[in-house]
Formats: sequence, structure tokens, C-alpha cells
Amino acid sequence: MANIAAQRIKREFKEVIKSEEVAKCAIKVELVNDNYTELKGEIAGPPETPYEGGTFVLEIKVPETYPFNPPKVRFITKIWHPNISSVTGAICLDILKDQWAAAMTLRTVLLSLQALLAAAEPDDPQDAVVAKQFKENQDMFKQTARHWTSIYAGGPHRNTEFDLKIRRLTDMGIEDHQARVALSSYNWDLERATEQLFS
Amino acid sequence: MAAANEPGPSRNNEEKEKEKDERMFECNICLDTARDAVVSLCGHLFCWPCLHQWLETRPNRQVCPVCKAAISKEKVIPLYGRGSTKQEDPRNKVPPRPPGQRSEPENNGGFPGFGFGDGGFHMSFGIGAFPFGFFTSTFNFGEPRPSAAPRGTPQFEEEQFVSKVFLWVAIMFVCWLLMA
Ligand SMILES: [Zn+2]
Ligand SMILES: [Zn+2]
Repeated sequence: MANIAAQRIKREFKEVIKSEEVAKCAIKVELVNDNYTELKGEIAGPPETPYEGGTFVLEIKVPETYPFNPPKVRFITKIWHPNISSVTGAICLDILKDQWAAAMTLRTVLLSLQALLAAAEPDDPQDAVVAKQFKENQDMFKQTARHWTSIYAGGPHRNTEFDLKIRRLTDMGIEDHQARVALSSYNWDLERATEQLFS
Repeated sequence: MAAANEPGPSRNNEEKEKEKDERMFECNICLDTARDAVVSLCGHLFCWPCLHQWLETRPNRQVCPVCKAAISKEKVIPLYGRGSTKQEDPRNKVPPRPPGQRSEPENNGGFPGFGFGDGGFHMSFGIGAFPFGFFTSTFNFGEPRPSAAPRGTPQFEEEQFVSKVFLWVAIMFVCWLLMA
């Protein structure tokens, strides 16, 4: 790895663990390997959003050309958000692409991702299905996102109605996550989700 | 998970202040103390090799890595600190840092832009201002003006020289008038 990348990550890492946000448990960074090429990030779901109370884990890969090119970041924790793929965790965020600037740091990236959770941009979606729901049925979107937060990110709000519908599908031999995706995609319409799963 | 490294009570304020001072001069790209330092017109500090590499990485989008203001290689100002003459790290094959641009200071009283190179202009000025130059020179003889430069300094000598020039010009002008 290029010297500057490792040097910089080392410095950033020292700085971020001393930061105010870490003290408040809003963000967290830990090393995955000793040569500073991969890190694990964590962000807390912002308050007053469907992600509140959840903790979202991120994979951060540092390219050799860092900081001239952005780190490669994706969500490990499954999340229901217009700008994040519900399948791969890939993120659509300008600063991780063409709007990257070399002075940005792990800390600013994590804070930007946290801001993204609080303010989705459905017109520039990563997950078309989620973005459609976000635009057409805000309430359904919020409930679904809150449900995903409770299941995958340790959020506090279980939704018994959704749990029951999933149970109906798992009883038919459908895998739990697959059932959740199908129901989420069809606004929790059990009939249509079943149809899609068995078609 | 990395535990937040709380600064212990042993770290006193002085150390913190020093750290803060050092951070003031960190390059915004490598986060190390800036070497071959340059500042963008928006005021952000970088190592020249770091900034150069950033501009090379995105030739179509030349923006400040901090504030995203438009920048260009031509429009950065090099910083020369006292310790900047020591041997620089030669491993980066980057073009030399652009030179500083030096503009002449504004006139500050005295003889505006007096120089030997453009005597012609000052000659005519001298003739035009002849009566004042002549009389002030005359009246001030032997009685230095309070604003006059101290004796022995280059400015003093220059002023002396200039008064003599004025005097000679005045005499030659009078002779020319008489002969004509
Ligand atoms: Zn630098
Ligand atoms: Zn700037």
C-alpha cells in the first residue's frame, strides 16, 4: 500500500477515536487488519428517523490511491433506504464518487452517511424499489424502514403485524429474509408477495 | 472496538495548545506538517506534492480539496518559512512549486519611484517643478527639514544627490533662458 494512504488512515484513526461523535457514540471506527487497508465503521441511526435506535455497520476499504480517491464503503447491516441497495449494501452518495475531495476523512464520510439516513434523495436512487415506495407511500416506507432497523440493526420497534406476515411465508418454506424483501417490495401485501415468490 | 482514548489528566493545557498550533500547519491532504507548502487562493494549506497529485487525479475537476472552490496550479501561493531552505524530499517527481509573484511595493512618500533608469521623465518633471525645486532647495540649505533622512544613510545621500541634480537643472535652465 502506498505510504501516504496508510499514514493518513493511521492519523485519521487516532483522530476519529478522540472525536466528539465517538464520545457520543454516534460513530465508531475499528481496524480490521494491521496494514490500515480495511476498517469497520459504525453509525447510529439518526434520531427522529426510522433508523433511530439502530446501529449500522459499514465495510470501509481504503484504496492505495487514498486520499486522492474515496474509500469504498458499503453497508454490512441490511437497511431499507432509497440510496442504499437492500441487496448488496452499495451506497449511492456523491462524495463517495465524483464529489470526493482529498481533505475528507473517515469521520466526515461517516457523518455524511448518517446525514444520508436522515435525508434520503429518492431522485438519485440506488434501490429503485425502495425509492418508489419512498415517493409514493411515505408512511409505508417509514414502517418498513423501522421494521428493517429493528430486525437487522437492533432497533427497538418490533412490528407484530409484519412479523406475522413473514411467519406465514416462512411456514411455506420461504427463507426469512427473502420473505421480508418480497413483503417490503409489495407494501406488505401478502397476496402479491406470495404470488411473486412462487411465480 | 477501539475505545475512545480519553486524554488523561496528565495531558496539560500547554501540550494541547502546542498540538493545536502544529495542526494549524498541517497539509489538508496528508494531514502531516506541510512540506513545500502552498496556499490556494481560498486560503487552504497543502504540500505542493500532495496538491499536485490531487490536481493530476482529477484533471477535469480542479477544485480545492477542502472547500471545493475552483483552483489551478498556476494560482497557488508558495509559503517560505524560515526553515524552508533545507533539503526537500526528492522522491516525488513533481514539477517545481510555482514561484511566488512579487509586485513592487506602493510608493510611500519621498521621491516617487526615483531611479536612474528613467531619467528622462524625471528631468522634465524637474524642469516643470523648477521654481519650487529651486526655492525649496535654496531655502533649506544648511537647515535640514525635520523629515530629512538621518545623515549617512543611503536615503540621506540620495536626497542630497537629488537636490544637487535639481539645483544643476535649475542653473542650466536659467543659462539657457539667458542665452536664448
Ligand atoms: Zn501533504
Ligand atoms: Zn479551499
